[in-house]
Amino acid sequence: MPEADRSTNEPAQALAGLRVLEFSSAMAGPWIGRFLAWCGAEVIRVESRSRPDVVRLYVPPRNPELGTQPQLSPWFTDWNAGKQFVTLDLRQPLAVDIAKRLVARSDIVVENYSAGVMEKLGLGYQELERVNPDLIMLSSSGYGGTGPCSRYVTWGPNIEALSGMSRLSGFPSRDCTLTQYAYPDAISALHGMVAVLAALDHRSRGGGGQSIDLSQYEATVAGIGHVMMEHFALGQEPARLGNRSLHAAPHGCYPCRGEDRWCAVCVETDAQWQSFCSVLDRPEWQREPRFASLAARLDHAEELDREIAECTRDRDDDELMNALQEAGIAAGGVQNVEDLARHDAHLAARGFFEQVEHLVKGVVTATGVPLGLTGTPGRSGRAGAALGQDNDYVFETLLDMSGEEIECAVEAGAIESDGEF
Amino acid sequence: MSIGPPGALTGRRVLELADEKGAYCGKLLADLGADVIKLERPGGDRSRRTPPRIRTGSGPEESLSFLYMNTSKRGVTLDLQREEGRALFEKLASGADLVVETLAPGTLEGLGLGYQSLRQSNARLVVTSITGFGQTGPHRDFLSSDLVASAQGGAMHVTGEEEDPPVRLAGGQAHIAASSVAAVSSLAALLASSRRGEGQHVDISVQEVVASVSHICGVGKWLDDGIVPKRQGTGLFASVPSGAYPCRDGSVYLMVNRPAHWKALAEWVHEVTGTQEILDAMFEGPSSNRLPYREFLDLFILDLMSRLSVEEAYREGQRRHIAVTPVQTAATVAADPHLAARGFFQEVDHPTSGRLTYPGAPYRHSETPWRIYRPAPAVGQHNREVYCDELGISDATLRALGTGGVV
Repeated sequence: MPEADRSTNEPAQALAGLRVLEFSSAMAGPWIGRFLAWCGAEVIRVESRSRPDVVRLYVPPRNPELGTQPQLSPWFTDWNAGKQFVTLDLRQPLAVDIAKRLVARSDIVVENYSAGVMEKLGLGYQELERVNPDLIMLSSSGYGGTGPCSRYVTWGPNIEALSGMSRLSGFPSRDCTLTQYAYPDAISALHGMVAVLAALDHRSRGGGGQSIDLSQYEATVAGIGHVMMEHFALGQEPARLGNRSLHAAPHGCYPCRGEDRWCAVCVETDAQWQSFCSVLDRPEWQREPRFASLAARLDHAEELDREIAECTRDRDDDELMNALQEAGIAAGGVQNVEDLARHDAHLAARGFFEQVEHLVKGVVTATGVPLGLTGTPGRSGRAGAALGQDNDYVFETLLDMSGEEIECAVEAGAIESDGEF
Repeated sequence: MSIGPPGALTGRRVLELADEKGAYCGKLLADLGADVIKLERPGGDRSRRTPPRIRTGSGPEESLSFLYMNTSKRGVTLDLQREEGRALFEKLASGADLVVETLAPGTLEGLGLGYQSLRQSNARLVVTSITGFGQTGPHRDFLSSDLVASAQGGAMHVTGEEEDPPVRLAGGQAHIAASSVAAVSSLAALLASSRRGEGQHVDISVQEVVASVSHICGVGKWLDDGIVPKRQGTGLFASVPSGAYPCRDGSVYLMVNRPAHWKALAEWVHEVTGTQEILDAMFEGPSSNRLPYREFLDLFILDLMSRLSVEEAYREGQRRHIAVTPVQTAATVAADPHLAARGFFQEVDHPTSGRLTYPGAPYRHSETPWRIYRPAPAVGQHNREVYCDELGISDATLRALGTGGVV
C-alpha cells in the first residue's frame, strides 16, 4: 500500500506495542517473527557476521557473477520482512550483556539455534528470566530441548522423513513422498506462534512469563496424530492413500489438457456422482453397477480413476473446475506458482499477494500472510535489510547507549559494524 | 477437571461449530486449557463416522480422527435451523470469547448469527471463519475439500515424483495448517480484543493457507529465477545434496545446507568408500556450487549409504553433525526412544472406546503445561452441564428441547 494511503486513521494492529527479540536462522524460527511483525509487533533480529544465516548466502540465480548477495534472497523477504536487524558477536561477553539489555525491554524471545546453544552463550531461559521475569521465551529445535537426540542436526525435510509424514503420504508404489517446501518448517512455526500467543494471553490475564520448548518433530507428528493412532488402535501401518479417500470416490487428481495440467475432484454423495457423470458426459455411468454406490465406487477405485482420466484428458482444468463447481462438486485445478500469481482471479480479488518495500529492489511481490484479521489488518514492513541495518536505532534510540559506549562495543567486536558483508 | 496447574488458555471460552477444517483449531485451544464447547447437530456430526474406526466399533465414538481431533472439548448438541436452537447459540455466544466456525460463507449471517449480529450483545467477541476460499472474492461459494485446497493453493504441484500425478500429504494437512493459522489469528484477535475492547471477524481461506505454507516454491522464488518449481522426487530443489537414500534395511533422509556440512559429508564418503573425487574443492561452498553436479554427487552418497544400516547411517551421520534422519514409519515413530524419553505419547481413557495411545504435546510450556483434559465428548454429553447448570435453563425445558429435536 502506498505510504500516503495509510498515513491517516491507520487501523490498530493486533499486536501493536509488543516487542519480540529473535535469535534465529533459516525459516522455522524467523517465520514466527515474520507473522508477529505483520500483526504489528516490533521484532528485532540479532545476527552475527561470523555465523551468517544460510539465506544470507544467496547467489542470485540469474546473476551468479554477483556472488553472495545477503539482502536479495526472496526467502529472506518471506521470513523477515518488517523486522529490525542488529549485529552482535555473542561470543563476546559485552555482546551478551547488550543482548540481555534488549531482553529486559522485550516481551518475547524466539530462538531456533541448535538445542543448547543459547545456554552455552549465557542466554538460556534461566539467565534471561532473571533479567526479565515476565519474559516468554520460545525455543524451537528439531528434536526439542531434552531427550537423547536433542543435539541432532536437522532441516525441514529431515523432519518430514523423521515424523513419518513422508512415509505415510503419497502413492503406495513409492517408498516415501516429500514436498519441495519443507512443510515441517511451516507447520512447526505455526505451532510455535500458537504457543507464544497463548502464553502471552495467559500473561495478559495476570499470569507470569515462562519458557516454551518446541520440538519440530513432535509438532509435525501432532499434525498427523490421527493417522498415527491407526498404529496404536489397529496395530497396523496406516495405508498410503495417495489422493484417495476412505469415504469418497471418485477422489483424485485427473489429467487435463496441456503439459502437467490436472484437476482435483471429490465426489462424496451419490447425488454428486450423478451430476459428475453429466458433467463428464458419461450418462451411461449413472446406471453402471460398478459405480452405483460409494461402496461400489471404492471397490472399483482403480478402474474408476482410469476411466475418468480418459474423459478429463481433453478438458481444460479451469473449465472443468468451473463446470464441476457449477454442478455442486468440490473441484479445483492443480495450480503452479504462475497460476497462483498471474491467473487466479480469486486470489487477485482478495489482494492475497503483497507488494513489499525492499531496500535494494524498491518493491518486491511476496506471498501473503493468511491471518485474515479483518478488524486489525496486518501488513508487511520493509524487506531486504542488511546485516546491522538497524544498529543505530536499536542501540542508540531503544537502548539509549551513548556514542562512546557504542564505540567501545564496536572496538571490542561485540557490536559488529563491518565484516564479510 | 482442574487438577494441576492451569493451562495457558484456562478461563477462555470458545464455541466450536466446525467440521474437519476447524476441529484441530479447537483441539489446539482446548489442550491449552480453553473451555471449548463443540456444538453438533442433534445425533452428532458427520465427522464422528469418518473412517478408519477402532476395530470394534460402528458407533459415534469410534472414529480415530474424531477421537484425536476433539480431545479436551465439551460437547453439546444444537439445531441451528430451529429458532430455539438459535436462541441457545446466541446465549452461548454472549458469554464466549471466541467462535470458530467452518460453515459456508453467509450461512451464519443467513441464520441471523453472523459476526455483526453476535457482536451486538458481546462487543469483545472474536468470530473466526475457516472456509475453502474465504469470505470474499469470486470463488467464495466454491466447494472445497482438503484435496481441492491442496491443489488450488499450489502445494500438490510440488509434492512427489516428477513422473507421478501431483499428490497431497497424509492426514489432511491443508486443514491441519488452516486450523493452526486459525488458532494463531484467533489468539492475536483475542489479545487485541482484550486491549481494545472490541472483537473482530477473522477470515481464513484454506487456499491461502496452503499457498502460504508452500511459499518456498512461491512467487518470490519464481520472480527471481524464472523457474516454475515442480515435483522433483525427494531432493529439495535448492539443497545439494538432499533426498532419501536407501540403506541396507530402509532409507535415511540426508540434507546439506551449510558449507561445513558438505565438508563433513565429503570426508565421511571418502573414509568409507575410499574415493578422492568427492574431496575436490570445486564441490565446496554453498549448495549453488554443487547444483550442476547433483546427480554425480548422488552416486557417491548412494554408494556410502548402501554399505550402512539405517541405524548406522543415522547415528554416524549425526555424530559428524550431518543432518541425517531415518525415513520413519508410524511403527518406528511410536517406538522412538527419544520420544519415549520426552514422554510424548499419552494414554487416554475413553468411556466407550477404551484406553488408547494418543500423540501428545506439540509444545511444552514451563508454567502452564499442555495436557489432554478429557477424551472427545459423546454426543450431547455436556448438554445438561452447559444448558442447565451454566445457562440456567430448567431440566423441564431441556427435556422439551430434546423431545422437540432441538438438542
